[in-house]
Amino acid sequence: MRATCWMGKQNVSVERVPDPQILNARDAIVKVTATTICGSDLHLYNGFMPGMQKGDILGHEFMGEVVDVGKGVKNLKAGDRVVVPFAIACGNCESCQLGNFSCCENANPNGWVTEKLMGHATCGAFGYSHLTGGFAGGQAEYVRVPYADFGPLKVPSTLRDEQVLFLSDIFPTGYMGAEQCEITPRKVIAVWGAGPVGQLAIASARMLGAEKVIVIDRFPYRLDLAVKKAGATDVINYAETDRVHEALLDLTAGRGPDACIDCVGLEAHGYGVEYTYDKVKQTLKLQLDRPIAVRDAIMACRNAGIVSILGVYAGLVDKFPLGALMNRGLTIKTGQCHVHRYMKPLLERIERGEIDPSFVVTHRIPLSDAPRGYAMFREKQDGCIKVVLDPAA
Amino acid sequence: MNPISQVRSDSRSQQIDNGTGNGIGLSRGLGLLGVGLGVTELAFPRALAGVVGVDARGPASSTIVRAMGVREIASGVALLAAPAHPAPLWTRVVGDAIDLGLLGLALTTRGSNRRRLAIALGAIAGIAAIDIFASRRRALASRRASVIAAVTINKPPLEVYEFFRKLEHLPQFMDYLASVEVLGPRRSRWTAVLPVGGTASWEAEILEDRPGSALSWCSVEGSPIQTRGRVTFTRTPGRNMTEIRVELQLAVLGGGPSTTLARLFARPQIKADLRRLKQVLETGEVLYSDASQHQLPHPAQPSLPGRRDAAPRTFIENPPTARKGGTP
Repeated sequence: MRATCWMGKQNVSVERVPDPQILNARDAIVKVTATTICGSDLHLYNGFMPGMQKGDILGHEFMGEVVDVGKGVKNLKAGDRVVVPFAIACGNCESCQLGNFSCCENANPNGWVTEKLMGHATCGAFGYSHLTGGFAGGQAEYVRVPYADFGPLKVPSTLRDEQVLFLSDIFPTGYMGAEQCEITPRKVIAVWGAGPVGQLAIASARMLGAEKVIVIDRFPYRLDLAVKKAGATDVINYAETDRVHEALLDLTAGRGPDACIDCVGLEAHGYGVEYTYDKVKQTLKLQLDRPIAVRDAIMACRNAGIVSILGVYAGLVDKFPLGALMNRGLTIKTGQCHVHRYMKPLLERIERGEIDPSFVVTHRIPLSDAPRGYAMFREKQDGCIKVVLDPAA
Repeated sequence: MNPISQVRSDSRSQQIDNGTGNGIGLSRGLGLLGVGLGVTELAFPRALAGVVGVDARGPASSTIVRAMGVREIASGVALLAAPAHPAPLWTRVVGDAIDLGLLGLALTTRGSNRRRLAIALGAIAGIAAIDIFASRRRALASRRASVIAAVTINKPPLEVYEFFRKLEHLPQFMDYLASVEVLGPRRSRWTAVLPVGGTASWEAEILEDRPGSALSWCSVEGSPIQTRGRVTFTRTPGRNMTEIRVELQLAVLGGGPSTTLARLFARPQIKADLRRLKQVLETGEVLYSDASQHQLPHPAQPSLPGRRDAAPRTFIENPPTARKGGTP
């Protein structure tokens, strides 16, 4: 089959690789009908995530048709149309039973490495380095899906692929970011980053009843979409002002946003000394992350407010405003999305027509064009927000 | 003499090596001494050479003193980083031998101050004696210490115990075991696949068998691999899950370097075994990824058919943990 392989820093190529096989009784093989390039794939593409190996198949957001199941899978059969959660979780361990699926205790065969790096192991994930288990990813014609009796969600044929595809990752992720803000109508929410996750965090915050949602980004076309489609009420373009903090205070009459969502992560961009400092440290491998957005979010957040972190971070950071966090009684809520928790209720919302997450799609290209998709997404060319790959084309 | 001492009866006590009264303080002191001396040798090689009575005019001598300094610092830092480990202490002993040799050589060289050299030789010999004492003590202590690992399994203690008590189940999650054959109510024969190729077999006897709470065993006299282990099953506070703790002592071919080597691999091996036991009991099988099913590094992509490294895998249709652990 053909699959998008990571060949090194800023180097992906579509290669011929062996077809996947059933390795475990609870596996299924899924023929991919639609898959995407996620913002977090860019962290792998740009070489900021440790634990990648040449030849790794990328991709963790995908859906398709079941073609084969292991003997332990009773609830799926060949022909079922499913969306597959990016996180691999067993459903049996205590973390899964408590609903913390991305902290699954059994789904990461390389958990001992993650343990050394992060203290405890996390769940497995498709195509996301060997720290999450070394599972082949979904930017391919076929994928092996472990714990297929627990993870994949069957979707009705009345909905188009693009309407349900994002249940795999970015929609539940954006939604969890908004849910963590404990939204009530009076709460003002600020969202850093208007990429795909940011767009869906904004849309989710609006859906949950927030009256005022402020978005911060530097690309006019992304801010534009955030206002027109996602429902942002105010925008701050940080390329045009060096006073984001003051702008946020202006918009909230001095209080600061009640909750802040970081949809940026470890490759945060900025202008000025702080950005240069973090960039140099990251280049020299003195730190893995550039925590600019999360620093801003903490400083801007209202006293006793909530900072919800969705952006991906890999390791240790420097100059973290712990004093502000502690003295102003802020709460940090974060985590890789517990996708399994949200897939079904969010599918119901899509079915009821409360939201259509497909508004983020800007490009549909064949799987064989994946290298171009990566470059375009990275460079923010051609108004690129979300790239959907078609393995059949 | 059997190199394995008695396994402690209370698995929960004394698990933490708190660094007092076991020579770790001495190790740290020697580490600091090494770093201090090393820095002095590096910074003031000529002055130091003068103090110990070596003729410092030769161009080679300050280079030699600096090299000694680098060696001292390396040993010292290693010792401070791992004061409980015997290896850095042994590097100090080797260093002492080199120092004594060099000073002895200096005795035969013209221009040396023999009286000062004699004092220096005496001082180094004294330090060497302390280093040897400390190394032997740490080596002995680390050989006696048992390997301890633990994991929490979402399943009541009795069921975890019952699974474990059927010793034939062990190869399902202890991947170095080829088989465990039950010979009698207390006797069993264990066969392991050795990392160097071939197999090794030994017999073990169950010493203590308390359903739902503890199981201990010991290899029988004359086995090539001597093990003594104890597993305890404890209920997790507030939830009907199992805290399983393994304590293992190990000696291969009567002790010595082969035991040290085996012990080095034992801890990660036991931790991995417990992780697999948890997978089997909670999910029915050991989970493999495209990369993890290979012994050697492999990219996260499917491998060619028929080139799978691992043996056929078992799957328990209804694993004991299919039921929820739930609060009692």
